[in-house]
Amino acid sequence: MLVLSNFHLNLSPETLETIWLTMKLGFVSTFLSSLFGIPLGLLLERRDFFGKRIILRVNRTLMGFPPVVVGLMVYLLLMRRGPFGELSLLFSFPAMVIAQLFIITPIVSGMVCTAAKNAAPEIRTFAISMNASRSQTFFLLIKEMKHDIYFALATSFGRSISEVGAVMIVGGNIQYKTRTMTTAISLMRNKGDYSEAITLGVVLLILSFCIQTLMDTLKRYENNGENY
Amino acid sequence: MVKIIKLKKRIESFQLDIKGLFLQDKKVHGLIGNNGSGKSTLIKLITGLMRPDQGTIDLGGLRSKDITFTTQRPYMLHDTVYHNLIYPLMIRNQMPSKEETEKWLEQCGLTGKEQQFAPSLSSGERQKLSFARALIFKPKLVFIDETMANMDLESIGVFESIITNIQKEDPITWVIVSHQPAHIYNLCQEVHMMEAGSHLFSGTPKETGYFMRERHEKQWSY
Repeated sequence: MLVLSNFHLNLSPETLETIWLTMKLGFVSTFLSSLFGIPLGLLLERRDFFGKRIILRVNRTLMGFPPVVVGLMVYLLLMRRGPFGELSLLFSFPAMVIAQLFIITPIVSGMVCTAAKNAAPEIRTFAISMNASRSQTFFLLIKEMKHDIYFALATSFGRSISEVGAVMIVGGNIQYKTRTMTTAISLMRNKGDYSEAITLGVVLLILSFCIQTLMDTLKRYENNGENY
Repeated sequence: MVKIIKLKKRIESFQLDIKGLFLQDKKVHGLIGNNGSGKSTLIKLITGLMRPDQGTIDLGGLRSKDITFTTQRPYMLHDTVYHNLIYPLMIRNQMPSKEETEKWLEQCGLTGKEQQFAPSLSSGERQKLSFARALIFKPKLVFIDETMANMDLESIGVFESIITNIQKEDPITWVIVSHQPAHIYNLCQEVHMMEAGSHLFSGTPKETGYFMRERHEKQWSY
């Protein structure tokens, strides 16, 4: 109670910088993961090839993989003595993006693949009946599945901004450089600075609420107006 | 003429095996048979939705872009009725003329619903829109797969009048698939009958009627 009575919203430049970095990380990671994840999800639905089942199983495993383990793996890859040590990426923004790509891309591809399994055969049959070319069919699939894709991206963005383990390991929680809202909350709690921790927590909560609202709206839009 | 020769396709326990089936140009063909007789499989093979295991399908000079089909449950784009109607023209980089789109909407009883969200249409309206959408780009071979099965009499009347008008003005080749011959007898010039994956008989509707009656009598005579 003492903590709450002393609490006031503390939007210091450092807090704002942390919020900005978290948002930037979320957007960049989600954008890059969509570049890999959406085509991969469509490919996994469409094509039958040797090893497809294994890839699907690995993808599903990665969807629920502990982020801290992903962080450790990326750390081992990027550490000075690691295979990509020469790139000097550890404890930098790109390192955090790389770690998030491993966490988010399987979510995007898995969700797109599941959605495509339901919707794509019908869309593809329609495209063939209209004699659409391959590229026209691909863009039609993206257009018709846009709400499923938004849903996957919103989920991924939510996962990105709420992630703590992996970004802490590969980012190092460096002030003004790699400190995100979640890693900052962890640090503030250790320091006993509950006011800033709660401020960041409230911002995260509002962001999560906004994402959930967006997802609900998309779902409602998708279901409304359909005459089954 | 579309020539289907020694066509074979196995799907699990079902085997489609057609020695020879010919579809003459600019005629309305009926393809009849019980459920599971292979009608839809044959259509999928001709339209390229499936690949045959053996045999040839000679489209008689028609290109794939001249062929289209409608299905029992047509797919509606998540867009307006108007955008659904003009989609085949858009992908062919053709500008739809106002008169033409209005003509099709009027023929299908969809005037005033141009801006309505297409998936919200009733099932009969969807069928009519899918029919107009399949014909707006002037194909030369059209397959209608069980489209009339769940339609009301008024909608069937719309279909029949559109087909009759097109055949009068600029005839094309039609293949109307149905397991209810009564739906198509008054439209078709030639009827092809399928049974258990094989082509059983081809003839005029009258000849098909005799053939079916004869078979029925043989089956029930002791």
